[in-house]
Amino acid sequence: MNTAAERVAHLRLLGRLDDAEEQARSALAAEPTHPDVLCELSAVLLAKKRFDEALAAADAATGAAPEHERPHRLRGLALSAMGRHPEAVEAGYLAVSIEPEHPTVATAYAEILQRAGRLGDALNVARLVVTMAPHTADSHFLIADITSDMGDMVTARAAYTEALRLDPQHALAQHDLAVLDLRARRPGRALQGLMQAGALAPGQSTLLPNVAAVLWRLSWRLRICIWIATIVIMTASGRSAGQHTTVAQLLAIAALVVGGVLMWHSSRDLPPQTRPVLMAALRSDVPLAITYGALALCVLALVATAVTGFALFGAFIILVLVALALLAVVVGLFRRGRR
Amino acid sequence: MSDDALLSSLLSAVAAAPEDVPLRVHVAGLLAERDRLTEALQHCTHALAVEPGNPAALAMLQRLTTLLAPQPESPAATPPPDPSPTGFDWRQAEEQVADIATPDPADHLIPSPTIEDIERPKVRLSDVGGMENVKQRLEAAFLGPMRNPQLAKAFGKSLAGGLLLYGPPGCGKTFIARAVAGELGANFFNVGIADVLDIYTGASERNLAQIFEAARRAAPCVLFLDEVDALGQKRSHLTHSSSMRNTVNQLLSEMDSLGGGNDGVFVLGATNHPWDMDSALRRPGRFDRTLLVLPPDAPARAAILEYNLRERPTSSIDIGKLVAATEHYSGADLAHICETAAEQALAASMEAGQLRPLTTSDLVAALREVRPSTGPWFATARNVVTFGNTDGSYDELAAYLRKHRKL
Ligand SMILES: Nc1ncnc2c1ncn2[C@@H]1O[C@H](COP(=O)(O)OP(=O)(O)OP(=O)(O)O)[C@@H](O)[C@H]1O
Ligand SMILES: [Mg+2]
Repeated sequence: MNTAAERVAHLRLLGRLDDAEEQARSALAAEPTHPDVLCELSAVLLAKKRFDEALAAADAATGAAPEHERPHRLRGLALSAMGRHPEAVEAGYLAVSIEPEHPTVATAYAEILQRAGRLGDALNVARLVVTMAPHTADSHFLIADITSDMGDMVTARAAYTEALRLDPQHALAQHDLAVLDLRARRPGRALQGLMQAGALAPGQSTLLPNVAAVLWRLSWRLRICIWIATIVIMTASGRSAGQHTTVAQLLAIAALVVGGVLMWHSSRDLPPQTRPVLMAALRSDVPLAITYGALALCVLALVATAVTGFALFGAFIILVLVALALLAVVVGLFRRGRR
Repeated sequence: MSDDALLSSLLSAVAAAPEDVPLRVHVAGLLAERDRLTEALQHCTHALAVEPGNPAALAMLQRLTTLLAPQPESPAATPPPDPSPTGFDWRQAEEQVADIATPDPADHLIPSPTIEDIERPKVRLSDVGGMENVKQRLEAAFLGPMRNPQLAKAFGKSLAGGLLLYGPPGCGKTFIARAVAGELGANFFNVGIADVLDIYTGASERNLAQIFEAARRAAPCVLFLDEVDALGQKRSHLTHSSSMRNTVNQLLSEMDSLGGGNDGVFVLGATNHPWDMDSALRRPGRFDRTLLVLPPDAPARAAILEYNLRERPTSSIDIGKLVAATEHYSGADLAHICETAAEQALAASMEAGQLRPLTTSDLVAALREVRPSTGPWFATARNVVTFGNTDGSYDELAAYLRKHRKL
């Protein structure tokens, strides 16, 4: 690689994408068909998500050095990002045929296949990558990413764990494992994983939205618990819901105690930094904040029952929970529509 | 009124008799009463440089440091300090360097730094508009101790380790570092991103060890590592590049070998992304002090606008109005606004066939086109403070974000 291309590569690794683009373009002004610099420019533009320009640079590089694998690989990645999957797969295949033993090349091909929806083929290529570079965290991360797309959560979890064993600082593996936990309905572990991922690489923009997703999931659990407690209390007190009944009082106290113990039990492993993170997530999502505010009111209503023995407070709780369910449906539809 | 007449006559007396310790302490007291703490501190440290251990001066220093220490709110309208001729105590510094062994002959094989690398900047802290908070922190954490190394030692304050300036892009970190060197009258050795790339690509036969060596030979000097995150990335990010990983290790050991500032080399660093730096670089003896440089405050914005308009034809510019409309804009953004407005006025002049000077409305129009570039930085900073402030190293940033409702 010549010095100009090397400088661009370093700037890209340092995350200085604007400087990298500028360097590449000025080097190309002197030597417009230098394949290494063209490839570097294409890689920078890919990182900047300017895919059609990245493709143009990769095309130029392919013209200048068709015998190298890298121009084809970059073409494939750009085409894949643009959704032109058949052409992307073709370019990726060309790259691996030129350089069949290189893990980076094979990784790119696997990613292209994955995005084209050919998950089985992608997994086969990823397995090859692991045999080429068994001690590299990224190889296992690739397997994990593909198998989690396939719904094979067991393999995915094992592969994420292996990636993290090889590189405990692998923020993406930590993050994606947390998302897996979230999908597997383990919100406590998901939250813990997100906190760790955040400590490793606080710049990731998906952190707070995912914490909010954990809170949504937790809110459903809370709702169900409160709902059950309320129904039980109201049924037990029957006709005398409007008066003091000892049974309502005792049941409400029991519900509060059990709920409190469960809360303490599931939150005791969370790091102290969790509270501000949760507050930030609530602030970033208004319907979520409203939901938790309303749930706090429900808990207050349970406390009122525990103090007075009036089961009628349950009517208020049911009203609030129904309104919250409506809110969740509306928000869910709206957000799905936007995506 | 008569009060300030007294002060200014005393200040000229000080200028006439710079070695008069009781006079300086008195003046420092008067300045402190007027909330001009930075200047007061300068006089005080100067007095102590003349007569280390003077009890009155020591008492005054103590009083000033307590006044300066927690700064919940920046003093409303502190006038910028006069460019008073305070400076680094060269006599003392040279004595400190005197007993360092002369380099052995092999050292002469090392290519010496080119002339452009070393300079003596003319800018002073008084050229930095506004930013009183930053200036006070610089004075207390860096300049003061450096003028009074013995005193600093007595207070258990080590000169080892560097000061790291961090903050959003284009907000004056590089500018302030140059002003610090100017303030000390020291040689200024600037290592920028281009030098870093030279190191990585082996383009100039120079590596980090040689840069530190050259700085030692130019001592006393300020070695400024601009964009230091490029040199000191988290090593875990660099699994693919062993040359970059080695450079981080080298930087760590070079900073350790500068222990105590005995070499007369003082390290300043600047970065937009302190969170991308290897955490080993933040340990004691390395970059253990940090200073947040935020977007320019109102007086700083006024200074930057005036500076950028000084050589352009203008007519009755309402600086106050522009300053009020440019909160959160960086220094570089403000320069860009002036540039854009000038382009438009030029176009209008060429169309009219005669010179039409820049007006406030040109600048207001340009301002609408240029958005503050600090937005993305603050978005990341918000995440960093929520997830990554476990050891309190970003408390200053957290306080700012909370105050401006960005958290
Ligand atoms: N307080 C100030 N007074 C006068 N000029 C200032 C001030 N702050 C910034 N500037 C001007 O703003 C411009 C940008 O500042 P500078 O290059 O030092 O920013 P930086 O923080 O180093 O940016 P980067 O992160 O991009 O390196 C400079 O031209 C400088 O003159
Ligand atoms: Mg700079």
